[in-house]
Amino acid sequence: MEFFDLVTPLFLALIVGGTFVGVVFGAIPGMTATMAVAVCLPLTYSLGLENGLALLLGLYVGGISGGLVPAILLGIPGTPSSITTTFDGYPMSQKGEGEKALRIGICASFVGGIISLAALYLFAPALADFAIRFSYVEKFLIILFALTVMGALSNSMLLGIFSGFLGIFISLIGVYDISDGGNGEIRLVPPGTEYWLEGGFALLPVLIGLFGLAAILEEAERGVPEGHSADTVKLGKSSSFSFSVFRGQLVNLVRSSGIGTFVGILPGVGGSAASILAYSNAKTFSKKPESFGNGEPEGLMASEAGNNGLTGGALVPLLSLGIPGDSTTALLIGAFTLQGIQVGPLFIGNNPETWNAMIFAMVIANIAMFAMMYFAIRYFAMVVTVPKHVLFPIILMMCVIGAYTINYGIMFDVWTLLIFGLFGWLVVKLRLEVAPFIIGFILGPSAEVYFIKSLESFGDLTIFFTKSWIAMVLWVLIAGSVIGSVMLSRKRRTATEQPA
Amino acid sequence: MKFTRRTILAAASATALLAQPFAAAAQELPGNVRLVIGSTSTGGDTYQNSSIVADALSEHLGINIKVDAVGATEAFKALDRDSRGTTLMIFHDQSYLGNLYGVRGYQDIFENYTVGPTVAINPGNAYLVPKDSPYQSMDDILTAAENGERVRVAIQPGGVSEIGFSAMKNAARVRAPGSEENIVAVNTGSQSDKNQAMWDDLADVINGSIQANEQFTQLPEDDQKAMEFVWITARPSTLEQAPAEGMGDTTRDELLQYASPETSVTLDGEQDFTFDKEFFFLFNPEMDPAIVEQIDTALTEIFEAGEIQERQKASFFIPNFLPSDEAREHLQNKRGTYEQVIEEISTES
Repeated sequence: MEFFDLVTPLFLALIVGGTFVGVVFGAIPGMTATMAVAVCLPLTYSLGLENGLALLLGLYVGGISGGLVPAILLGIPGTPSSITTTFDGYPMSQKGEGEKALRIGICASFVGGIISLAALYLFAPALADFAIRFSYVEKFLIILFALTVMGALSNSMLLGIFSGFLGIFISLIGVYDISDGGNGEIRLVPPGTEYWLEGGFALLPVLIGLFGLAAILEEAERGVPEGHSADTVKLGKSSSFSFSVFRGQLVNLVRSSGIGTFVGILPGVGGSAASILAYSNAKTFSKKPESFGNGEPEGLMASEAGNNGLTGGALVPLLSLGIPGDSTTALLIGAFTLQGIQVGPLFIGNNPETWNAMIFAMVIANIAMFAMMYFAIRYFAMVVTVPKHVLFPIILMMCVIGAYTINYGIMFDVWTLLIFGLFGWLVVKLRLEVAPFIIGFILGPSAEVYFIKSLESFGDLTIFFTKSWIAMVLWVLIAGSVIGSVMLSRKRRTATEQPA
Repeated sequence: MKFTRRTILAAASATALLAQPFAAAAQELPGNVRLVIGSTSTGGDTYQNSSIVADALSEHLGINIKVDAVGATEAFKALDRDSRGTTLMIFHDQSYLGNLYGVRGYQDIFENYTVGPTVAINPGNAYLVPKDSPYQSMDDILTAAENGERVRVAIQPGGVSEIGFSAMKNAARVRAPGSEENIVAVNTGSQSDKNQAMWDDLADVINGSIQANEQFTQLPEDDQKAMEFVWITARPSTLEQAPAEGMGDTTRDELLQYASPETSVTLDGEQDFTFDKEFFFLFNPEMDPAIVEQIDTALTEIFEAGEIQERQKASFFIPNFLPSDEAREHLQNKRGTYEQVIEEISTES
């Protein structure tokens, strides 16, 4: 079948429709791209391979992109990979620049998606060959590199690092799963709680608890001022969006998209690491690192270009090795299997029409995402004009539904949401730092598995320094990031001390 | 209002009449059923297989059945909580192998649950070596172990992936007692980890599947990623039924060369060890037997109609319906064989 025979009105409608549904899923706290693809996967059986993939790829691109909406407007990451979007997007929104932040995020997402797609189309087999050079050792060092951002994100370095380690510690509660090659034993679980804590705390309920529920509790504590029942945030015209904001940001956008793509091609490293690494690098190389975390567009661009860079990257190992790059692409294997198609190193060569159709679908999905989000932004941004006494109960309800459905109906996930909502509220009072905590929580399990597997496989700690030239390069980057964080912390302290 | 004997009798009769449909409903599947599975993946073989069965049952019985990929631990918990038939479970041999290997969260399914009908087989379980490996067959591997060479096998411990490894050790023990010590496990996680273990030269042999690894066997020898099958654990009769679409560019005859009897991994010096990954229902032990019977009858009719087989084959599953009683006996015998293998190698070591 010729490629152009595949591009039918139905094919195009499925991409655009999938992208729209994906954006909606991504924009609802607790709903993810993975969930959108999982829900629609059974539909693909009757659609045929190319049409089915058109729908799923639209959902994938839309779902990843939609996460920026609640991250910017509500400070709740719609998906784990938009965690760093909240760091600068939400402060911009609080300053009345929500619409501008959304437009910046959408443009950066589009650039990230297209760059990763170009990498996928042009270099997929070569990138896959490069990816298999990354053993447990190199993957651990990448995670360690991402963890170094904890220091840079903290107001107080010591408290930030402590919070990060607390996050790692809590992420390790539960069983050391045999599906990770572990021994199946539980650890760090208080006696009597094994029934609930055996599987540990799920990431998404923790995330929406810490960022969603905790914020609502803080607002509730502050109370609604008398006579301000419709307390709203104005959309703001203080600084309207202009493409000139991207001036001088080409390197940032390309680097962040590249990081996203690169992390995507490494199976198991995870999408959250992509945006964290992109953000961390943007901060390290920025001329104004101190403004990161306070509404700096540069940080927002890095985060969004990084997490959308993942979309093309994660398809590289899937289509070149038959190995999914992340949890969403793992579901795409199901779509292929439903149609009796194997994915592996021969897939691209044996199925050129399907390959071209997939790339075309991704291009259209990115354009559709850009068009529908960029021009509908006013309507998205209206959410901040909704009175809080109306908005918060809706958010709370969505958070609870999201937490309950994320693992297909586990009630403990709702308790997790509530526990971490309270914890997030307390963290602020204890002067601990939420951002490093959550980064530690996200990356902790991968760091543990890769560290232990490195030692099991290679014997001793020296392997982290001697394994390969890639390991050495990663150590240089880790050292650079640590030094950068220390210098930034000193600069910040000096700036604080001067007025006194 | 005055309560006469007649009023009370009329009320009792009306109650009995009204209660009848409820009593009858208690013996049937309710209108909404949650089918939990022992995997958290909605792209994997357990989900696909369960979806096919759930769709067919839904249509046949006119009820809603929703598949929830909650994973083994949560699925068993959900099944424990519900004896009304609102929650059913589908899983595969991992459900009893996990118990045999002592994995946390796996009870004895034959004691603690009602084992229901089998529905399908995934025939793909396989072992592979690098294409340039000095071991080109199972015989090479077992001979190497006999000669004192350490052979490293990448598996995911505690279940389906490990049973073939245990069988290798057992075969080595039967051939040359003590040589099984030279076959050692490299504990990994996903298929990606197992492949990576081979490419990093951390494993000499890896567990995989026909579906996931066949294309790597088509790569030229100078490609670092190239692999070669050495053993497919399925029974030859199973492979003969396997849909050709799932075999890639490898022919059925070629695949049969890697399965018993052409490739022999002995169980006891006489018979060969074989393993088919079978999917079956599990029920709460307190669930009304009438519901089990209803599911058996419905599945018998569905499989007689023949449409479900086409859907299963399209997804590289082999239709394998056995009603509950037969399935229970078959799986108990199968468990007995594997229990013996695991015991033999544990006793020796």
